[in-house]
Amino acid sequence: MTTELEQRLRADMEHATRDVRVPPGLALKAYRHYHKRTMTTRAVAAAGTAAVLTAGALSVAEVTGPFGKSANGTQLRTTAFVIARVEHALSAPDMANMVAYTRTVYPAGVTLQPVPGGVKGSGGSAAGSPGTGGYELLWAYHRATKLSAFTATGQRVFDERITALTGSLATTVVTYASHTWWTAQSARPAGAGSTSAGCLPGGQIRLTGSASAWPDFIRSQLACGAYTVAGKQVLGGVDAVKITGGSGQITLWVNPVTYLPMRLEQGGLTQINFQWLAPTRANLAMLNMPVPASFQHVAPPS
Amino acid sequence: MGSDRAAEDLELFLAERGELLLRTAVLLAGSRDAGEDLLQAALERLLRRWRTIEGDPEGYLRRILYHLAADNWRQQRAWRTRLRLLQPGAGAVVPDSTAEVDLRDSLVRLLRQLPPRQRAVIVARYWEQLSEAESAQVLRCSVGTVKSATSRGLRRLRELSESSGPAELAAQGSARGKS
Repeated sequence: MTTELEQRLRADMEHATRDVRVPPGLALKAYRHYHKRTMTTRAVAAAGTAAVLTAGALSVAEVTGPFGKSANGTQLRTTAFVIARVEHALSAPDMANMVAYTRTVYPAGVTLQPVPGGVKGSGGSAAGSPGTGGYELLWAYHRATKLSAFTATGQRVFDERITALTGSLATTVVTYASHTWWTAQSARPAGAGSTSAGCLPGGQIRLTGSASAWPDFIRSQLACGAYTVAGKQVLGGVDAVKITGGSGQITLWVNPVTYLPMRLEQGGLTQINFQWLAPTRANLAMLNMPVPASFQHVAPPS
Repeated sequence: MGSDRAAEDLELFLAERGELLLRTAVLLAGSRDAGEDLLQAALERLLRRWRTIEGDPEGYLRRILYHLAADNWRQQRAWRTRLRLLQPGAGAVVPDSTAEVDLRDSLVRLLRQLPPRQRAVIVARYWEQLSEAESAQVLRCSVGTVKSATSRGLRRLRELSESSGPAELAAQGSARGKS
């Protein structure tokens, strides 16, 4: 039973941490501390004067983790069985209430630009390879999405939050380089919510601001047929099932237990990694997009 | 893995997941500065295992955060007790030094007064919304311990919030609602 105290506690936690941002250089600071400590430990151990200290440090580091273990010994599954399971998992009622989190890595040269109601991508070449360009993180829940675009070196470029209203899309964008932000309301494109027009290749990927966009897209592509199971591959410690199709344009990896997508590669260039999360307060908080106080409000791009 | 590469990988990992982890660290530690210190300490420990981690390091880092939070608290408690004994008027109430946390977030301030395990359980259950079994796994304790720590933690929070003045808290709550 949820009491008033528990509700207030959740709200207070959310409020107290809403402006928390990772300070720049924290990773480097941690790395330097770690490196310094390692060097000190080595020097002490070499001198042979503090063997006990070294042993202590090692025992502290002895923390067990779940890594390095594959999920299970997945048997060879037939294509029909796997596709049916994936389609079933994507259309399960639970999916409607999940927070979709994706990390999309672009090939070199691709630049993203926020526009009212979405993002415009440009540039890129077939010579690029996944992981060499920038990347975007997308949090989506029901009819709201928040997209954060980063450079290849992890520098935040912009945040864009889109909320689908009846017949329109409300967009708010914060651009970090120019210290500006804008809001816009645009007409909701026809067919919003359905995500693809036709089968790949030849079809067109059109993703709109809702959590169901990717599941809908993957289901529509699988429904086109011509997808086959192409073996297994360890992804994030899980023995993922690899599926290829769309005349070689699409490769999909699914979890062998839940059959939910883990990764999708399009044309061997753009790579999308998925996580399907419970709508906890912590996860939903990632959809918030506070505008820094010093940023200037500007008109949206036309 | 080269040293620069490890730092770069960590930077990318933080850019992606750092915000959520730092928010958890701030709640566990009680203030922003302490939260950053806690996350940094956890990252240092993560680096020790960085080469051997094959999967997503987030779960591993989260467990370190929770364990370190308890350790740090224990050390601070020892020092606080010693300082109190040295100060005139020993036994007086320690002034609240949580200026970093918004004063309107009364329950978060009160959370600092809970023992580390109870606080960690409360953060796991009500911020991360982990189940009792998941919380037990993160904290490496039994489900029974999670249940009892949750119950005691909530009871203590209720007592503390009542003693700090319901009218004041209500006013703070309504101020937050308007902001």
